[in-house]
Amino acid sequence: MSTPTRPSLDDPALSIPVEHAGIFDAIPLARTERQQEFYALRDGEMLLNMGPQHPSTHGVLRVILKINGEQVTDLDPVLGYLHRGVEKLCENADYHQVISQVDPLEYISSLFNEWGAVLSFEKLLDLEVPRRAEYIRVLSAELNRVASHMLYMGWFALDLGGITPILWSFAERDEIMEMLAALTGQKLLFNYFRIGGVNGDLNHEFMSRLGDWMSRAGAQLEAGMSLLNENEIFVRRARGLGVIDRETAFRMCVTGPNLRASGIPFDLRRAHPYSVYPELDFDVPTRSEGDSLARYLLRMDEVRQSIRIIDQCLHQMPDGPVSARLPRLLRPRPGRAFSAVEAPRGQYSTYVISDGTDQPFRMRIHDPSFLHLQLMGLLMPGNLLPDTMAIMASLDPVMGGVDK
Amino acid sequence: MTAVTTYWNRLSVPSRVLLVALPTLLVLGGLATLAVALLVAPLLDFLAANPDLVRFAIAATLVIVATIPTAFLIILLELKVIARMNLRVGPDRVGPFGLAMSVVHGLKVLAKEDYTPRGVDVPIFTIAPVAVFLATIMAFLVIPFAPGLVAQDFNIGLLYFFAIGGLNVVGLMMAGWASFNKYSLLGALRAAAQAISYEIPLTLSVVGVIILAGTMSLGSIVEQQAGSFLDWNVWKQPLGLIIFFIAGIAEANRTPLDMTEADQEIVAGFATEYSGMRFGFFFFAEYVNVFVISAMTAVLFFGGWNAPFDWPFPVDLALDPGSLGLGLLFVAGLAPVLGTVLLALPFWLGSSRISTLQALLIGFVLFNVLVVGAFLGWAFLSFDWVVGLFWMMAKSYLFVLVFVQMRATFPRVRVDQLMGFAWKWLLPASLLNIFATAIAVSILANR
Repeated sequence: MSTPTRPSLDDPALSIPVEHAGIFDAIPLARTERQQEFYALRDGEMLLNMGPQHPSTHGVLRVILKINGEQVTDLDPVLGYLHRGVEKLCENADYHQVISQVDPLEYISSLFNEWGAVLSFEKLLDLEVPRRAEYIRVLSAELNRVASHMLYMGWFALDLGGITPILWSFAERDEIMEMLAALTGQKLLFNYFRIGGVNGDLNHEFMSRLGDWMSRAGAQLEAGMSLLNENEIFVRRARGLGVIDRETAFRMCVTGPNLRASGIPFDLRRAHPYSVYPELDFDVPTRSEGDSLARYLLRMDEVRQSIRIIDQCLHQMPDGPVSARLPRLLRPRPGRAFSAVEAPRGQYSTYVISDGTDQPFRMRIHDPSFLHLQLMGLLMPGNLLPDTMAIMASLDPVMGGVDK
Repeated sequence: MTAVTTYWNRLSVPSRVLLVALPTLLVLGGLATLAVALLVAPLLDFLAANPDLVRFAIAATLVIVATIPTAFLIILLELKVIARMNLRVGPDRVGPFGLAMSVVHGLKVLAKEDYTPRGVDVPIFTIAPVAVFLATIMAFLVIPFAPGLVAQDFNIGLLYFFAIGGLNVVGLMMAGWASFNKYSLLGALRAAAQAISYEIPLTLSVVGVIILAGTMSLGSIVEQQAGSFLDWNVWKQPLGLIIFFIAGIAEANRTPLDMTEADQEIVAGFATEYSGMRFGFFFFAEYVNVFVISAMTAVLFFGGWNAPFDWPFPVDLALDPGSLGLGLLFVAGLAPVLGTVLLALPFWLGSSRISTLQALLIGFVLFNVLVVGAFLGWAFLSFDWVVGLFWMMAKSYLFVLVFVQMRATFPRVRVDQLMGFAWKWLLPASLLNIFATAIAVSILANR
């Protein structure tokens, strides 16, 4: 297999039409047939550059939209503005250091990134984790899920033009972040999970904040949701917007809440249980519509279930150590391990190959945001310009995870 | 020659400037005095012969000046009210309770660089903010604020209001087209489509009021609603009010109908490429427009400057200062000192932390507040136009608050929903309103 040659811009077949020169400045040099087709404009069509500096691209996504009036006919996403080479960094760090390297991937829910890495390493090492540590992991991760979904609610409303819900949901998220900061020592990138346990037991400040929050969490959630659920404008815009049917969902590897909003009750916590989830009592909510409103409502249902799980964790929390006793330098025997956790955005998978040294030979991270972002190409064309951003917000991608 | 050069070289720069400027100014000043002396008499004669022109010039100037505090007040309201609804504190650093924040915003846009991007159509790009701003404040001319306090009470005031309101969109189109930016262009085209769609129900919704009043003069419409709040047009034209207010939101480009500057979609619409005071003009115009729509709602449907009920305690404050004689001088000289000391006493006695000087300062401020309050109260009870202005402003700012609250609570509607709502619901409803009003009026007139 020969390496593809890199076409130059001087090639007249691939040259840029002069009248559009401005927009092409940052387009990658290698042009495919698809790109050539995209940049050949028909009458009445116009290219509109959206991002990486646009008020509502979450992070640094850049999408070049081909619009006909207000209607989007085609689009070309340009990724990679946030690429940091995390997988490569992981291969040059020892197993303990990997945890802090994967933290900033999906920075909204970083405990799940850690969990994915830690779970695969534990499989590699065939390690038994203390039960108290597992419960603390579930407890803190579900809190993180609630925080992530609250942020989703605000973002989605903001992209539809409502400015208040994001500040209401930020109040909740901030409280959770504060209590997780009391537990882990950091406010966004927690670096809390360890191979074989967690870093530090539950402390007083965390528990008092958590108790305080749990006493009013349900009511606060309902109050925040009433801003949107009873808003005619919001419901009318979100209903029927960006519908993903079951077949498309399977074909495009959709997971997590986006999949369950299309009516498929697939939740890794029940389908391929890990940690202590089999001991906990919670439902897997599904919705059949598959539109943006269903995706939003489903996440709110999940927040309720998460609150149930947190409640059970607090009641069933066993005593004991919070971390297994391990050497400083881990040298797992050569082999490979795969782990998947149910992150707030879907299936977050980690695949690790060990060659017997203290560093992973290969670390592959499979992020749900990237797969969900692919749906843009299916869902956006045919919609109006105001809806493109709403559809993207409803899929809930985090560019840190997409660009890795 | 050499002597002059040497002398000139010894002078410092400011002295050189003065040496040249002073004689020039003297000569120019003399010429100006001469010209004024020659011209003033005919000018005064001309003005005396045309009092209407004088009145109009003064009123127009006042109107332009009055837009500045209006915009500042609405910006401040928006900052503080939306902050409270968002669980935030809002600005609280500049001035007491952050009251000077909008002034600082105004100074900020003045101080910013006035940037003209490459590729824009410079003349149109420059004129566009002025066009938008002028179109908005010209609507101020016909708003009756109080009995006698109206710049120009046309007999076609309402028609003038809609005509001038329609000019707004021309400026937006100019800005969007001249900006050489696709977001601006989209914003401008949205503005044009939206304005055309919503002008129609906006205009048709007040036809019911015109039928009831039999005139298009805003002053007469207000006068016909005199009496208690039961005489207001809102009870006779509830549908008209709803249509007028919704279409007014679209006319003022406010959430949830602010298609033209939807920042989540088209960044800032027509204003994307503007900076500095040109951008400031657009937003000045927007906030003034909010007030204009609110004031028109109050005028057309809520009785304008009419009080909702008669003041139940008639007070006769006819006080002849001459009857006091020398006592007046005594009171005027002694009252400030006595009042300051008396008001300072509790603070001076009450807290050991407050020094004598601080206590006196507090007393002085309190005394001034009391005097101003007393003066306002006296003016309120004595002059019709003060009462009228009070009620007019109270009603207008009530609707401004509604605008602000809607901005905080509603998401934005989609473009096609916006258009569909105008043509499928507002237009038929306004036609129905005209029809029903006309039938009711003719039946009542024939009976």
